[in-house]
Amino acid sequence: MLVVAIAKGRLLELSLELFAKAGIHFADNVQASRKLIFDAKDGNHRIVLVKPSDVSTYVEYGAADAGIAGLDVLMESGADVVQPLGLKFGYCRIAVAAQKGVKSLAGSEPPTVRVATKYPNITMEFFNSRGIPVEIIPLNGSIELAPLVGLADRIVDLVESGQTLKENGLEIVEVIAESSARLIVNRASYQIKRAAVLNFIEAIRQ
Amino acid sequence: MKAYTQIPPGTRILIGRAARRRRVLERVLCSVFEGWSYEEIVPPIFDYYDVFIKGMGRGLEDQVYRFIDRDGNILALRPEFTSQVAKTAVTRLGSSSKPIRLYYSGEVLRFERPRGGRQREFAQIGIENFGGGQQADIEILLIAVESMQRLGIAEFQINLGSVDFLGGIVDRIELPEDQISKLKSVLNFKDQPGLENLLSSLPLDERRKNILRAIPHLTGGVEVLNEARSLIRNARSVAALDHLEEIHSIFDRLGLARHLTIDLGEVRGFDYYTGILFRAYIPQLGFEVASGGRYDSLAATFGEDLTAVGFSFSLDRLEQVATPQLDVPDSQATTVSGDAAGFERALELRKSGKMVKRCL
Repeated sequence: MLVVAIAKGRLLELSLELFAKAGIHFADNVQASRKLIFDAKDGNHRIVLVKPSDVSTYVEYGAADAGIAGLDVLMESGADVVQPLGLKFGYCRIAVAAQKGVKSLAGSEPPTVRVATKYPNITMEFFNSRGIPVEIIPLNGSIELAPLVGLADRIVDLVESGQTLKENGLEIVEVIAESSARLIVNRASYQIKRAAVLNFIEAIRQ
Repeated sequence: MKAYTQIPPGTRILIGRAARRRRVLERVLCSVFEGWSYEEIVPPIFDYYDVFIKGMGRGLEDQVYRFIDRDGNILALRPEFTSQVAKTAVTRLGSSSKPIRLYYSGEVLRFERPRGGRQREFAQIGIENFGGGQQADIEILLIAVESMQRLGIAEFQINLGSVDFLGGIVDRIELPEDQISKLKSVLNFKDQPGLENLLSSLPLDERRKNILRAIPHLTGGVEVLNEARSLIRNARSVAALDHLEEIHSIFDRLGLARHLTIDLGEVRGFDYYTGILFRAYIPQLGFEVASGGRYDSLAATFGEDLTAVGFSFSLDRLEQVATPQLDVPDSQATTVSGDAAGFERALELRKSGKMVKRCL
């Protein structure tokens, strides 16, 4: 039995489509149900539904053999997992954004940039690599609001279409990373369940 | 107050069953190591910082707990055993006949975020073989196998690779240091999109790129070695494949081949590895229980050129494995009274080796 962790929402929907194409079928009500564990009709696969930012944790600890995770989750967690397959959905960018016209990572004043973000690790690493002193303001949502109310000078956030930024008068200053979703696999499962893992990878390769 | 109710993050307290289990594990593993003529070494829990930095490489320096003694020396709590053991083998044991076989058991300390099964203080038990040449690789792999068998672990996989395979390929493509470390990083994660991304920016011909593309797939049974042979011709990589094949054929002859998998994309670990490297996995456990490899250049940094190979088990992780061998029942004690007669009876029982428990 191969256990795959997926976050509820858009990634789940696309993943289920992908699995169905590979002949791995689940009950029809996965999206609507409040259950968290579903077994495939083939009896060889199981999905567990978790919070997006927890996918890499389940996989790193081996509670799930594999998972489908966005780049943001992987980068933020720094999880030590194998990433053998890129998927053709869940494309996103992690970017530094600021109010229109700012256009730079850091102004001359104040000397430390205040950055609001859900991704403190990614932010810290990025600004450190540029040698810019940074104060991280951790938020859990509505990150775009922070520069508008003077809470932060910049934000680091996930950007899909860029529409939310635009509507709030923000624009991208620099893209930190971009990628589509990935299949990740626990290192021990990759060895211990090699045949099942490799079959699964081949089955869902797009 | 925090100090009275909590323990620092990344540390553990073992009591009762857990502590007994730890000791049983230790005893079983020590007896296996001693059975292969390995001698125990008990190094100090702190040593000069430079000893570890020479061994582990600069990359891990921020994980080392260090402090300054009253003479101004920089000391460090040991973050691993291998450097200390190598130093001792070269200095104190320098004139001993080779190979020098040593084992150790104890705590190591690293400042890490306690996550992904990692602690700041964790228990390692392992062996090192100095001057035993390449054949010692097979010896230590067999000791790892016997260790797991004696612990009652029937299902385990040893995932074996060699830094020389990739090393031979990288030798022939002239890339700056930072590109090579990027390459190693994407290969370590078998990160195919990342590899494609990196390759598109590297000035390599298609043949070379195809070799690098193949590496994450070169994992599985012995057939992987033949696949790899069809891709490369450089002497260093070929020698690595020959050696892995020899190891596999001996495992095959001993009926152990099912426990061995080859992974030529296995490039994780300390900078000091120079030949084979391996990790052992057990079903139901998300992390490896043992890891090790060859590190021929380490001893030379301490003054003598000696081949070296070794591995260590994580006791904290092995403790999570349930086998009858590790199932430690509560011992049955004979209860004696709390008065003078009770003490007399207790001594009598103790003389015959019985377990006693005085009641109040």
